[in-house]
Amino acid sequence: MSGNKKTFVITRFDPDRDEAPRQQSYEIEVDPRWKVLDALNHIKDEVDPTLSHRWSCRMAVCGSCGMMVDGKPSLTCKDSLANHGDTVEVAPLANFPIIRDLVVELEGFLDKLKQVKPWIIRAKERAVEEGTHRQSPAEHQEFKQFSMCINCMLCYSACPVVANEPDFLGPAAIALGHRYNLDSRDEGDAERQEIFRGEGTVFSCSYANECSEVCPKNVDPAAAVNQAKFRAVIDWATSFVVPRGGEG
Amino acid sequence: MARPAHPDAMKSSRPSPTRMAPPQMPPQYPMGGRYRAYTLFDATGFVYLLVGLLALRVVWALGNGPGAWAQLQAELQNPVYVAFHLLALLSVLFVGVRFFRLFPKAQPPRIGPAKPPPQPVILGGLYAAWLGVTLLMAAILSGGLL
Repeated sequence: MSGNKKTFVITRFDPDRDEAPRQQSYEIEVDPRWKVLDALNHIKDEVDPTLSHRWSCRMAVCGSCGMMVDGKPSLTCKDSLANHGDTVEVAPLANFPIIRDLVVELEGFLDKLKQVKPWIIRAKERAVEEGTHRQSPAEHQEFKQFSMCINCMLCYSACPVVANEPDFLGPAAIALGHRYNLDSRDEGDAERQEIFRGEGTVFSCSYANECSEVCPKNVDPAAAVNQAKFRAVIDWATSFVVPRGGEG
Repeated sequence: MARPAHPDAMKSSRPSPTRMAPPQMPPQYPMGGRYRAYTLFDATGFVYLLVGLLALRVVWALGNGPGAWAQLQAELQNPVYVAFHLLALLSVLFVGVRFFRLFPKAQPPRIGPAKPPPQPVILGGLYAAWLGVTLLMAAILSGGLL
């Protein structure tokens, strides 16, 4: 094989024709500067237009092009071909139902995301004429890391708990809920903590830490999940000292 | 191909208009790549279960007179028990190091008005506490404090 050729072993699945996913190989000329996504786009454009995959921004912002590359969750627009050998295996994200080829079902994630109420909750909305909510740089810094998530789902495809416990809210959703709990403008902490204490939430996490290892934006969802776990324990313990509704 | 994940993993609450292939496990799980350390970490739970059973055996021997206690002490000289205790020690060290590595970042940035110390300070404190407790236990077991 010449230095500019690579074989791509790609998972294919056509719900109208295939009983189960299968693999198909494509040997193509590649530019060494390409990312994995460039190779997939080349295959779709020049070799096999039936190949289905998601992508959009090509700059690690939209989070659409997450796939398993050589068995690991990867944002394909960020993953250089130079990091891989002569044969590159591309599969849909693990732990997700497969709609077609490399395209997975994301509705289940959106269901989980809604549960953590990922928006600013105020006990009483401030009137417009009172101006914007002010926040210091230090307050912003407390949650900034967790707001960098692009919902690429790599963390879900790396998590062994997601693979085994369907009710688990999962890393990105919990990280986003935790992000709002840390936001000085938010007053929905108690509501979310109630959700975090429930079945299939923060206490399902066994801290494999894989979500943080694969995160392409260094969000560190494992830290968020376990900080939320820590908070839930402290809230539970302090509830014996300061009952709900009491002045803390 | 990887092994199947739970069939309902990441399943939508709404029925899908199309047939879908079931979700697959991460291909490297459970013994490939970084998953190996996590799986071994979980597997140490079995070692602690056996340590717990052995502790019950010790309590039972204590309650059944000097003869039972002497017999237990003789049994514990067996190379199988020695190897098991070595395995238990390695398990504790492995879990301790992993726990200490992950514990600092699990601290919330603030608890009420209080902020935790920097992560290196937490890590240093954990190792210092571990060393202190180890030295204390060694002093007690060697009779130095009694």
